[in-house]
Amino acid sequence: MNTTPILKAEDLYFSYDNENSHSLNGFSLEILRGKKVAFMGANGSGKSTFFLCCNGIHRPSRGTLYYCGEPYDYSRKGLLKLRSKVGIIFQDPDNQLFSASVYQEISFGILNLGVSVEEARQEVEQVIEKLEITPFRHKPTHALSGGQKKQVSIADILVMHPDIIILDEPAAALDPKHTVMVNKIVNQLTKDGITVLMSTHDVNYALEWADEIVLLHKGQVLMHGSPLDVFTDKEALAQTNLEQPAVLQLFESLCKKGILDSSLPLPRNLQTLESYIENM
Amino acid sequence: MITIDMLCYYSRLRYANAMEKFTYSVLTLLFCVVSRSLAMALLVLAVNGILTVRKGGIPFYRYWRYMMIPLAFLIISTLAVIVNISRTPLDAFAFQIGNYYLTGSYASLYKGVQMILTALASVSCLYFLSFNTPMTDILSVLKKIHCPDLLVELMLLIYRYIFLLLDISFSISTSQDSRLGNRNLKTSMKSFGAMASVLLIRAMAKSGALYDSMEARCYDGRLKVLDEQHPPKSKEIFWIVIFEGLLLIFTIWSKLK
Repeated sequence: MNTTPILKAEDLYFSYDNENSHSLNGFSLEILRGKKVAFMGANGSGKSTFFLCCNGIHRPSRGTLYYCGEPYDYSRKGLLKLRSKVGIIFQDPDNQLFSASVYQEISFGILNLGVSVEEARQEVEQVIEKLEITPFRHKPTHALSGGQKKQVSIADILVMHPDIIILDEPAAALDPKHTVMVNKIVNQLTKDGITVLMSTHDVNYALEWADEIVLLHKGQVLMHGSPLDVFTDKEALAQTNLEQPAVLQLFESLCKKGILDSSLPLPRNLQTLESYIENM
Repeated sequence: MITIDMLCYYSRLRYANAMEKFTYSVLTLLFCVVSRSLAMALLVLAVNGILTVRKGGIPFYRYWRYMMIPLAFLIISTLAVIVNISRTPLDAFAFQIGNYYLTGSYASLYKGVQMILTALASVSCLYFLSFNTPMTDILSVLKKIHCPDLLVELMLLIYRYIFLLLDISFSISTSQDSRLGNRNLKTSMKSFGAMASVLLIRAMAKSGALYDSMEARCYDGRLKVLDEQHPPKSKEIFWIVIFEGLLLIFTIWSKLK
């Protein structure tokens, strides 16, 4: 098994204001291929900045990023190669969708990879079908709902077949129905073996979905580990303005009251907790 | 959505080949302007009206309202051609005002009507195109006829950003209204100025974010996108050729007359 991290960050520093303050402040991290990693932390903790560094939009002032063991090459050619492998879906789809038609929008990325028009057409059609965009494929982008815009922005990246997909708060400003739909798409991505990095404030979703959680605080990795390790560390959660997931709070409370046996493995979702109660 | 943009997405002629619609509109407009014939202008007005309302399914009252916009402007501007102030009355009409006449001749009356109808028919050609063809299809036609890439790309981005900035301006305006920002002329002017400056800042920020997102998708300085294909239909081409042929013959005949 290949244990080389697909992405590695080594002591990164990045500043938006001429090194007066740092959005990334000695940030180090390793991510293995095929993992689902949730990035959590207070606003301004450096999540989005790190994501932009991963895609080569920002270049850290110090430190090195590695993709598959190779340090980032910031030449034009190197960046094009990197961006074909590391795709980013921005938080606000209106910052991503530049074209007036859904079809044109989705075709942009794949054509930039230099594939033939015929191949690009096939890929665009496939991704339209896969993400269930067909009902609104003929609509102009400005007439789409928030959820539909998000679907199109995911399709924009998926069509390029990246190895890593970065989602910057994909459920931000979405209603519950569209949040479920986006989560379904994200689950599909991970089933396809794509490494998914996602920033989110939803601790319940992160506990159930993620293989690893990265807690960020003031531009540094405060904690990196399994969801259960991270979400049971109340001190770290408090530092990053996060609360324990509801299912863990309820489990702890039921254990304290002697209703459940505290030796049971920690539940990662409500279904597991429900089965514990049923088997009492 | 802007009404005219919304209508073209609901038009039944939306999926007709864009190059066919473009060619029809431009050639018809050209013949109208060159011939300056009353009969041709009336024919074009009728055909475009039928195509847009009956074939395209655009509601008649909307089409009528849009046609009234240039008509009002044309009538006002043509008055200068029709009406003269003279010491001697002309043959069509004359109203005496002191020693002068507000008067007009049959020739100038005819010229005025001819100008109005020609301009209206030309506008109807452009309406036919814009009511039945989404902007993206028009841009793809411009690309095919080798309009400079830079111009087409700029038009694409401007078109997208019109809606984005309109959305922002509506939100700001609503928020200003909710805080009595448009209570009177003074506050309205102040609010409008504030909105304009915020819009400029937002537009700059949005353009920066958009550029980042395009860079993230390997943007290399050229906006390469695919267009949806709606192949031309031989029946439609046949009728366009027949109609434009008739207009050509009529134009040549009217010039030789």
